[in-house]
Amino acid sequence: MAGVGCSVRGYFLPLRVARNVVKGSICCLFQQQVRGAKHLNYPRLRNPIWFVRKERTKYEEHLTPENKSFIQEVIHDKYGPPTVIGGISTYKQSPLKLQPMERGSWFPGCRRTGVIARKIGIYPMWLKDGTRVLTTLLQVLDNHVIRYIPPEEFHPPRTSVRNPKSKQQLGCLLVGAESADPQTFTKEYCGLFKDSGVMPTKILGRFLISPEAAVQPGTPLYASHFKPGDYVDVRGKTVYRGFQGVMTRWGFKGGPASHGVTKTHRRPGNIGAGGGKARVWPGQKMPGHMGNRYRILYGLEVLRVNTKYNVIWVKGPAVAGETNSTVYIYDTRLPLRKLKETPHFPTYYPEDDDPLPDDIYSENLHPFTAPTITYEENA
Amino acid sequence: MALWCRGVQRILVDVRPIFSLFQTIGNTEYSSLSSVSRPEGLGSDEAKEAKTVEGHKPIVPLECRFVYPEFLPDPRLDHRNSLREKLERMDMLNRRAHIDIPEFYVGSILAVTSSNSHAPEKSSRFVGICIQRGGCGLRASFILRNVIDHQGVEMFYEMYSPVVQKIEVLRLEKRLDNELLYLRDALPEYSTFQLDMEPEFLPEGAPVPVNPIKVKLKPRPWLERWERQELKGVQDLGLPERFYKRAAEVARPWEKYDLMKEYRASIPAEEQEEIFVEVYSQLQQLEVMRKKMKRRRTFVRPKKMG
Repeated sequence: MAGVGCSVRGYFLPLRVARNVVKGSICCLFQQQVRGAKHLNYPRLRNPIWFVRKERTKYEEHLTPENKSFIQEVIHDKYGPPTVIGGISTYKQSPLKLQPMERGSWFPGCRRTGVIARKIGIYPMWLKDGTRVLTTLLQVLDNHVIRYIPPEEFHPPRTSVRNPKSKQQLGCLLVGAESADPQTFTKEYCGLFKDSGVMPTKILGRFLISPEAAVQPGTPLYASHFKPGDYVDVRGKTVYRGFQGVMTRWGFKGGPASHGVTKTHRRPGNIGAGGGKARVWPGQKMPGHMGNRYRILYGLEVLRVNTKYNVIWVKGPAVAGETNSTVYIYDTRLPLRKLKETPHFPTYYPEDDDPLPDDIYSENLHPFTAPTITYEENA
Repeated sequence: MALWCRGVQRILVDVRPIFSLFQTIGNTEYSSLSSVSRPEGLGSDEAKEAKTVEGHKPIVPLECRFVYPEFLPDPRLDHRNSLREKLERMDMLNRRAHIDIPEFYVGSILAVTSSNSHAPEKSSRFVGICIQRGGCGLRASFILRNVIDHQGVEMFYEMYSPVVQKIEVLRLEKRLDNELLYLRDALPEYSTFQLDMEPEFLPEGAPVPVNPIKVKLKPRPWLERWERQELKGVQDLGLPERFYKRAAEVARPWEKYDLMKEYRASIPAEEQEEIFVEVYSQLQQLEVMRKKMKRRRTFVRPKKMG
């Protein structure tokens, strides 16, 4: 077995073994003892190019008030006025200075970009038939496309396990959210934003997209990227609960509270069998850290979109994360709820259509502006 | 337990361990508002004076927080977001344009008409005394209680549900307590109200009367340990001495001096003013409309009788 393995990866072998291969004495190969690593120790995981140091060491710069205001002026001259004031976008027209990329056309199975949003709370709304549903409000922050990396140039750190040499199908779109004062970031981090002309952002995320769905860097993304009635997946970081026991973490029943029970009220009980196995099976539910992991909630229906404040209402109260935490919204991957009709593609461009109304509702949602629900008497 | 859910309504027949949904702290507990003198949960005149003493003239009347308590957000800091609260208030005002939600308090007698696909005429009306009121924003809700055919019935209504067609106040009054859940253990006559009760109108500008009635409870067993709750609206409970002893042991009389607790459980007065400045003009318009309608109703009724 060892010999076969060696001949396949011949150029990784130690010199001595390699010489044997050249001589063609295969039988030697089997006798030769191979010591040490059988492959070059190259790093498997490479950080993507946008993983640069973000925070800057803050020190006293002894700037006079005039200097400070001058810096602010320079920033304003370079990046223009803030893109969002009081939750409302300030763009009158597209901020793109270059001619935008040629837009592709949508096809079923095409992957569009997603948006970065903030979970701002949960409140009830009612459907047209009077059913109460809890909705989660997701505020789309001032999203801008920062960079597009086509599939040929995109080398993700992890490749497909089944077929590692398969051609990369999807490109990568960097999206930034929440512009901030560039002085708070490092030079390297600000450099990522240079080509797009966007002010450096606090949050930088990546979305894997089909090459047809590429968007010109600098383009703002809005809540109207999604339409009411669409289904989305929402990725967020779950609430961190620290080290928890089995009752909290896995919902175990615990033990009885009384009847002579001592010290066994919240314990897990038995964790494995004895006999021949005499060990704990992998995957046994045990106490440990709970939460603080990224989790995706699949197939949430978009019920309502507010285009003024860029808020999306999705059905259900279970989006991962606390209120005011960041989430990522994608078109759903569930096969039966995937997009069936052409969405705004590659994203929503306000200059394309007539301005949208402030609030867009799903067909089956009761808007609060509508009159009271009454039931028809069917004779 | 008969449980009949259609969106907003749950009928609860006399045995029910419900209501974790009602926060006991928060803006529902009107008396525990910070930085304003305590108006005993009832009169608002004192609060007005307290505000004017500071030399700052309030733009909106301070009794707003008693009349429209649901406009104040949940004081839990980790649930707050200014944009969400704003959108919620916009939705509430939009709903209020279609339904008149009058001023009422725990202890008032209400009649609620709501759409109901199971009822014969597709709507049902329920009359009862409000025993609890709670929830912030669009979750605002209240419970009505009545005794019908010797059976205690409670209905849970959400104020902003579009299924609710009409909310009428038949008798506007307050009681001595912030919650009247003890009516479940009281004699049935204290929560029996005629379904065809006529509305009683108060003169314009009159303060909301406080009903000082003291309720007689049935003998134990009870749903809760009422002797531990410092209730003002119940007659002597007639329990053995050991119950009161134990109640004194577990009592926490110092909590009313805990300023931080009060601060965390309430919205500061400055913030309240900000919120009500935003919605007050619209609420005022709706109120004027309501008064017009009321006058028309009072005018029309004698004609019909004749």
